[in-house]
Amino acid sequence: MTESWGQFKSFEGKKFKALDAEFTKEVSNLLGGQDLTACFQCAKCSAGCPVSDKVNIQVHEVMRMLLFGLKEVLETDMVWLCSTCYTCQERCPQGIDITDILFGLKNMAFKKGITPQGYIGARQSLYNTGRLYEPTDWERDDLELDPVPELNVDDTKKMLDKTKLMKLEEGE
Amino acid sequence: MTQSYEVFLGCAIPARFNNYESSMRALAKELGIKLIDFEGASCCGTVVLKSIDENSWLSMSGRNIALAEQRGHDIVTPCNGCFGSLKDTDHVLHDDESYRKKVNAALKPLGLEYTGKVKIRHFVEVLYDMKDEISKKIVKRLDGLKIAFHPGCHLIRPSNVAGFDDPELPGKVDELLELTGATSVHWDMKLRCCGSPLLIASEDVATKILQEKMVSANGAGANCVVTNCPACHTQFDIQQIGLKDDEGNSLELPALFVTQVLGIAMGIDPEVLGFELNRVSLDPINEILGI
Repeated sequence: MTESWGQFKSFEGKKFKALDAEFTKEVSNLLGGQDLTACFQCAKCSAGCPVSDKVNIQVHEVMRMLLFGLKEVLETDMVWLCSTCYTCQERCPQGIDITDILFGLKNMAFKKGITPQGYIGARQSLYNTGRLYEPTDWERDDLELDPVPELNVDDTKKMLDKTKLMKLEEGE
Repeated sequence: MTQSYEVFLGCAIPARFNNYESSMRALAKELGIKLIDFEGASCCGTVVLKSIDENSWLSMSGRNIALAEQRGHDIVTPCNGCFGSLKDTDHVLHDDESYRKKVNAALKPLGLEYTGKVKIRHFVEVLYDMKDEISKKIVKRLDGLKIAFHPGCHLIRPSNVAGFDDPELPGKVDELLELTGATSVHWDMKLRCCGSPLLIASEDVATKILQEKMVSANGAGANCVVTNCPACHTQFDIQQIGLKDDEGNSLELPALFVTQVLGIAMGIDPEVLGFELNRVSLDPINEILGI
């Protein structure tokens, strides 16, 4: 399947100038990245991945790109088309937290502005309302459900200001 | 002893699946499980926020856990997404001192602290513990109901975080469902992700995954799909409407929540179980359910 996602679509004819060891180290320091370099390319991750047949670059290839220090990995479709199902992480014979590493890559890509549009809107709602969606009141009335407990949104805003959620791109 | 929990609903259930909440509350009442409203709950943190910024995710999620901790309650949630997010945060904050310090620094101005005393459970875990009680309360058998049960990812994986069922061969919720006389069929794509988290990045890919799942469920002879998660249910009861295979044959199967199946077998009023809000037509199984 051809995806509109990701600028990096194939290894065909690609020449890489720099193998950046610092980048590999940076990813190893992410949440779940500690065992990254233990990957021996068995590709069991891709074998169980629900999007392997729907992406240009598969998850074991992402792992290889990380070991080679290829920053282009952030432009592959696999990063944002990972559904976070954790099948790869569950099955990795080397115990690598693959799905968690992909979360870290999403964070890195987001800071660079490489992200599906939906995530930009989701960030705004999470900041503005502390929630992703608002309750459907008529359904709740019909079923005689009590109102959803209130949230003081200043509380979540205070925290998200501290983590600079709305200014992530500036930290790049 | 009565079990009591703060009930964490998350965002998707009150927005789209109030029938799930209503049927959960009815079951809890029937089984003597006390559900306390979760005052001040925000979004659970969700994979969406974890994808954007992990520090924000840990703070958002950690605040919810710390609120329950301050009030001295454990948490129960009927949503796989919330369960996964809260458990994952608990796992990180428990094991990693540097993240714990960071999150506690963000929580301090709110008068909150995470120390890790709160137990986080999925509603189906609580039900599984009460399987004998449930079995005694079955008053209506659902013979002929052939269920393609979809456990969903974050209920069982990663297993070192979720800690509920076998990640490759789960069977606990199936056991509960079969107490009613229904059959939980074997289907090849049972453990595969429903595709729901991809709706935000690519609806095409999400739909393709759903199509693969539904071809498998239909092929296995199921006459309904059952879930325990509002995110998965978005795929099965909203995105599934009008879904066809590559030859143009309909793949639609009624989609029910675990709590609706158990509830109807326990003789709870169908109106309370909220069947009227199920979007995919329930006609093919109306008779079996007696609704």
